[in-house]
Amino acid sequence: MGVGTVFRDDLRNARRSKIVVGVVGVFTLLSTLIFVSEINIFDDAVRSLFDLTALVAFLFPLFVASLTYLAVAGDRARGSIKYVLGLPNERWEYALGKYLSRGVVAVTAVLGATLVGFVVGEVAFTNGADPERFLTFGLVSSLYALSLTGVFVGLSAMTASRSRAMFAAIGAFFVLVPFWNNLLPVLQVGTVIDFAETLFGITVSEETRLTIAGLSPSTAYLSATAPVFEGAGDQYEVVRAVIGGDTGSLADELWFNLLVLVGWGGGVPLVGYLRFRRAELG
Amino acid sequence: MAAIETRDLTRRFGETVAVDGVSLTVDQGEAFGFLGPNGAGKSTTISVLLGFLRPTAGEARVLGRDAVDASAAVRSRVGLLPEGYEPYANLTGREHVRSAVRTKGTDDDPDAVLDRVGLDPADARRPAGDYSKGMQQRLFLGIALVGSPDLLILDEPSSGLDPTGVGLLRELVAEEVDRGATVFFSSHDLDEVERVCDRVGIMRGGELVAVNAVEDLRSELGMGSVVEATLAEPPASVPLADVDGVSDYETDGRVVRVQCTEPPAKMRALAALDAVAVVQDVGLEEPSLETVFEQYTGGADEGAEAVDPRDEPTESAAGASAESAATGGE
Repeated sequence: MGVGTVFRDDLRNARRSKIVVGVVGVFTLLSTLIFVSEINIFDDAVRSLFDLTALVAFLFPLFVASLTYLAVAGDRARGSIKYVLGLPNERWEYALGKYLSRGVVAVTAVLGATLVGFVVGEVAFTNGADPERFLTFGLVSSLYALSLTGVFVGLSAMTASRSRAMFAAIGAFFVLVPFWNNLLPVLQVGTVIDFAETLFGITVSEETRLTIAGLSPSTAYLSATAPVFEGAGDQYEVVRAVIGGDTGSLADELWFNLLVLVGWGGGVPLVGYLRFRRAELG
Repeated sequence: MAAIETRDLTRRFGETVAVDGVSLTVDQGEAFGFLGPNGAGKSTTISVLLGFLRPTAGEARVLGRDAVDASAAVRSRVGLLPEGYEPYANLTGREHVRSAVRTKGTDDDPDAVLDRVGLDPADARRPAGDYSKGMQQRLFLGIALVGSPDLLILDEPSSGLDPTGVGLLRELVAEEVDRGATVFFSSHDLDEVERVCDRVGIMRGGELVAVNAVEDLRSELGMGSVVEATLAEPPASVPLADVDGVSDYETDGRVVRVQCTEPPAKMRALAALDAVAVVQDVGLEEPSLETVFEQYTGGADEGAEAVDPRDEPTESAAGASAESAATGGE
């Protein structure tokens, strides 16, 4: 009863929010731009879907963060939480209701982008959109969206103010995306492993390095989308380079990728709830 | 079973003691005023009663249940008008009430609830984020009333209300008490408390410095009534020195002002005056609750000198900083 009411209220509140509609709208627009701008560059819609994958993997977390970082912390800062928890809701019902509603918003955003891509791909590309590949992409991306939502809502549940929630979200984005994907010089997970090797006098095998690299939700998501492009995007060098061959590490296994996504999506909210359960709300 | 019972309830924030050993019993069916200047520890106490904060020491029971361990069960029988809240900006007032009805599992009609608190039907269908403070207070008063709770906890309920709203609040409290509900009315609006509450408790610096009926608090402080008798002509003598319960008197021409420490002393003083002169008119001055309040709390939030009947002087300012720490956020 409590979860459903919290979920409905939060979703309704979000749906009517100009900011939420704006964030989802901008993401959909960017996704549309990818497909529209590549109509005359590539023959295959699946090639543009590959570029959408990059957008989802690297930039979508920022969109999800903006949609979710105040889920709990904002209510605490504003005092709206006194409305919900002044009623006979348990704290877990409140936290779960928030997670689900924000998850629905994030999944809606990524599925909307996928749908727009499918329509543009089907209508305007020489080799149109393959429903099965787009559906697979949509499902994996939805899981990624839920995983990210869990991370940011979980962090929000650990913080009591807007500023701390914002710093936590930015920090999580930096670690899970640029840092873990080696997008920045020096500040990379690989550098940390190098440092650990020097410090402890150990050698980390390439396979272990790849497995560690695959532990971020963004890297796991990228690997998990590989089946979408198998046999379809192989003629494109960049696609081959990213989905790559079998390196023998766990990071290449689909089950491992999905487990990583589920782990982040379940683990951080659990820790967040355990903190929130005993949080001082006065 | 008491509606609210705290025993040595203490809540610290670091070195600051926001609530200091408060033992309080509020009986079922009474309207209890919880008074104190800003920072006295009122809201912190309420937060503990609702399970928002854990006590550092001591115990709080609400409707017979432990306020911490059985928080949700307690809240299912409590109606809360909190302080320092915001509604969901994009939900209408009606949607807020409807969710409260759903969560409490009752069959209240949201429109009837909103009508009862005087929220216009057109306003009830507007986003609550556009509401004035007074409209928000009415909305949350309505939410508090959902499910005919056994206990209403109203934290500064008249804040932001116009005079009509204050009158409505008074009526609602009376109706709820008539229904059998307990009303716990936290406020520094002293007149309001005096009008609606049977008993009051006064907080200062985190301590509960007084609990009693307003009349008894006056007596406790020796702040009884003043009887002003206008005589036909200036009296040759005033035979009041030996009248029981008369603490002082003064004569100004035909007017005699008599300070009485207990209610029966008023008639005894008048009878004594009537024996030596013709009493043409009688006036009565009762010290307001505000005067009582000022005597107990030092009269200001800044920790001015205060009367403490238990002779345990504490600084109000310490309490003020304590509650700031409790509610000030990040």
